[in-house]
Amino acid sequence: MRRPLRDPVLLPAVLLVWAAVALFVLYPLVRLLILTFWNEGPSLDAVTGLVRDWTNRSALINSLALAVLVGGAGTALGFAFALLTVRANLPGWARRAIDAVVLLPLISPPFTAAIALIFALGPRGLISYHVFGLTKVNIYGLWGTLLSETLTYFPVAYLTLKAVIANIDPNLEDSAFSLGARRWRVFRTVTLPLATPGVANAFLLVSAASLADFATPLILAGTKFPVLPTQAFLQITGLYDMRGGAALCFLLLVPALAIFIGQRQWIERRGGSFVTVTGKVGATTRVKSLSPAAVVALGLVCGLVVTLVLICYLLIAAASLVRGLGADNTLSFAHYAHVFSGGLKAVRDTLIIAVLCMPIGGLFAVVLGFLVARTQFPGRRALEFAAMMNYALPGTIVGIAYLLAFNDPPLALTGTAFILVVCYVFRYSLAGTRATTAVLAQIDPAIEEASASLGARRDVTFRRVVLPLVRPALLAGMTVLFIRAMTAISATIFLVSLDWSLVTVRILEGITNLELGQASAFSMLVIALVYLAVAVASFAMRRLNAGSLGQAGTLLGG
Amino acid sequence: MTTTGTRLQIDHVSKRFSRVGQSTLAAVDDVSLVVEPGELLTLLGPSGCGKTTTLRMVAGFEQPDDGRIYIGDQDVTELMVYRRGIGFVFQNYALFPHLTVFENVAYGLKVRRVPGRDVDRRVSQVLELVGLPGYERRFPNQLSGGEQQRVAVARAVVVEPRLLLFDEPLSNLDAKLRVQMRAELSRLQKQLAITTVYVTHDQDEAMAISDRIAVMRQGRIAQIGTAEELYRAPRSEFVAQFIGRVNLVEGRVLDVTGGRMTVALWGGSVTVAAEPGCAPGTRLSLILRPESLTLVPETTKAGATDVLVLGTVRSRTFLGEKVEYTVEVAGALLHVVTYDPAHRGVVDVGARVGVTCSAAAARPLTSS
Ligand SMILES: Nc1ncnc2c1ncn2[C@@H]1O[C@H](COP(=O)(O)OP(=O)(O)OP(=O)(O)O)[C@@H](O)[C@H]1O
Ligand SMILES: [Mg+2]
Repeated sequence: MRRPLRDPVLLPAVLLVWAAVALFVLYPLVRLLILTFWNEGPSLDAVTGLVRDWTNRSALINSLALAVLVGGAGTALGFAFALLTVRANLPGWARRAIDAVVLLPLISPPFTAAIALIFALGPRGLISYHVFGLTKVNIYGLWGTLLSETLTYFPVAYLTLKAVIANIDPNLEDSAFSLGARRWRVFRTVTLPLATPGVANAFLLVSAASLADFATPLILAGTKFPVLPTQAFLQITGLYDMRGGAALCFLLLVPALAIFIGQRQWIERRGGSFVTVTGKVGATTRVKSLSPAAVVALGLVCGLVVTLVLICYLLIAAASLVRGLGADNTLSFAHYAHVFSGGLKAVRDTLIIAVLCMPIGGLFAVVLGFLVARTQFPGRRALEFAAMMNYALPGTIVGIAYLLAFNDPPLALTGTAFILVVCYVFRYSLAGTRATTAVLAQIDPAIEEASASLGARRDVTFRRVVLPLVRPALLAGMTVLFIRAMTAISATIFLVSLDWSLVTVRILEGITNLELGQASAFSMLVIALVYLAVAVASFAMRRLNAGSLGQAGTLLGG
Repeated sequence: MTTTGTRLQIDHVSKRFSRVGQSTLAAVDDVSLVVEPGELLTLLGPSGCGKTTTLRMVAGFEQPDDGRIYIGDQDVTELMVYRRGIGFVFQNYALFPHLTVFENVAYGLKVRRVPGRDVDRRVSQVLELVGLPGYERRFPNQLSGGEQQRVAVARAVVVEPRLLLFDEPLSNLDAKLRVQMRAELSRLQKQLAITTVYVTHDQDEAMAISDRIAVMRQGRIAQIGTAEELYRAPRSEFVAQFIGRVNLVEGRVLDVTGGRMTVALWGGSVTVAAEPGCAPGTRLSLILRPESLTLVPETTKAGATDVLVLGTVRSRTFLGEKVEYTVEVAGALLHVVTYDPAHRGVVDVGARVGVTCSAAAARPLTSS
């Protein structure tokens, strides 16, 4: 087992995965870097040119500032939610309700929170204008973007921190209590320090999400608050300046990569305990509960956020069902009629691509997870890292890199279903890979050795033993792929064509054409489809005896 | 089901593990041994001595850094696990949790593309053999530890392996069941006559089950022999201590004649088989097993056939059928076991006693 290159199955498998990663991850990024730094010779002029321009300079600063702010706010909110659900002895239904609402932003198409905020707090907003009569509220710019992104991404922090807090060894807190410390003191001196690595991890995750967010700023940031992903997009689609777009991507790539590497190191030093999914979530005893005052305070904060999220979604639902929300509130199915006529092709295309992604990406995820967790070969860590790149990098970078790499013969693939599927497979398989390694971590390697000792080759062992055992991970991975394929836009907006369009692109068109009702109807449809997928997946997961929506939810969060 | 045994030969095999930030560790260091056809050989030794690593190299899970391994006439050193034709029973059984008992046992047969009818027949035969008929449709998590153990054995033997390898197969069972299972394993192994290597750190288990025992220490083989040989003639203090309890007492050679030598002990002398290189005056260690020693009243005089020493009882453990004493003799502690205490009575702690040893019971610690 220690000499893999003699293994007749492992070697081809490794080569195949390496080849795929090289072609669809490394090659596009190399093209991007070449375009940025090669102008008839090595040259920095694309980057220096950018930095001289006010818009681009502030885009860099704005992006970083926004990432820090959203990271901070999202982590704080996530921590509050995690404390409330894990430590407040809430009844089961309340916890489930919170989870259901919190799951919404994670599985919604982009723009959802942004459109809803425009409805609620925009110039003629239902809340700002119609309820409070305010006319001076300006939702565009930093504050609107910050609010919208925080609402969208705090669930990521919540899911991470929930697992962290639930996994704190109860004996540690109990012994602090036994030494005479009161609740607050135990919280300050034991709970919080133990949760700190998890908090840092959550912060990095949320910051990365904000840094990469393309959809929200496109709608809400406005011209006075440029950020990098939208600037890169506009540079290419508006000014047809590929080099400028590539250079902006590079500016975005540096902090994104730094966050990713930082987060990885963090997790590695802790033995990966923050990504593994455990069954212990929700375990709680009386003595470690919060004080009543703390419960009330947390309840207020979380209640407010839950209400806000619900209002957002109700507004979207309402907007999809009336002629023009806020202007003409008569019931109308016209928007849905459009979705199912003119919009039908996009819906069908998206579904086809999402369904294609599931088996391909699922298998890729499981094979990669297996190779990483259970085999030894030279370059294993490098492969793992390379395979994660497209997941870790903002979609805008990936999309532009693909555009550069696959627009011309012999690899003229942009606009095809193939490249869309490939893009999603390499971007969104990571959840499945992580789930696979988590499942494998709980399976004794002796089980695979038993199979080998009975005469099974490695591929037979994989098919007959590993695959059946990692079915829950496969299912979770495929669900995530479906959801992402239904809701993604930042990378694939560069890759769509007349032949293959996406619902999310139609939503964006609806917004830019000021047909918010139509955009809302599309959004509702996507949300319904995705919820259906999650429901089916968690039903199947229960059938597999391997967990519940809570677990699937955790996996979706990655 | 008949298998004619195959010979296993391990030839100067070594395995080193590199450890981060430390020197490399020779987990197995130049080990050579032969297991004869149909024989059950046990690797016995303290934790970390390299038993498992040796076994895993025989199985093919690990590659030796040096040396070769032969099964029968075939050099299998470079052969992949799945082509070695072995059966491996894991410490925690490693049953496939998603397969039924039937499917678990049938696994190796299916991999070998045995036709379905034969699979059914052979699986029920072997389940009969291990005493689990009718368990076919259960899943591993519906079995007790002992039953899982039997399934693991059935799964390993059903493919008629050339070699059967066990890594501490009984260590997850409770003490009573362990004794019962080791008898069953022993019977099964004799019946099938499959050459077997068995790893354990339990000396009783090794002695009960093995044809021969290889005692390992720090990656090397300290001594190989039958249980009796190891007990009667350990070649090192380590083996003497590891197989049973022992008192090592220093003596001085007085005389060597005709293959026998006389050694001074406790003011008397004992006559034992001569050791090469021993001349009058040589100091050597004598092995006195606790059960060869007897407690006698302080006033007893040494007889013609035994030696005697006086001491004080320092501790006493009453175990029902026997009593274990430690007796302080000239600053050293002697272990003494006496049997049938109900009949012979017990001696109190602090009492002055004599300890006698039959001159015939002492043996030199042979070094060759
Ligand atoms: N994969 C490995 N990497 C590094 N060191 C190892 C590895 N496997 C075993 N070792 C080391 O090799 C030595 C021998 O290990 P081995 O498992 O063979 O011992 P053992 O005799 O089976 O012990 P035990 O009775 O505790 O099972 C130990 O010091 C162990 O730490
Ligand atoms: Mg071992």
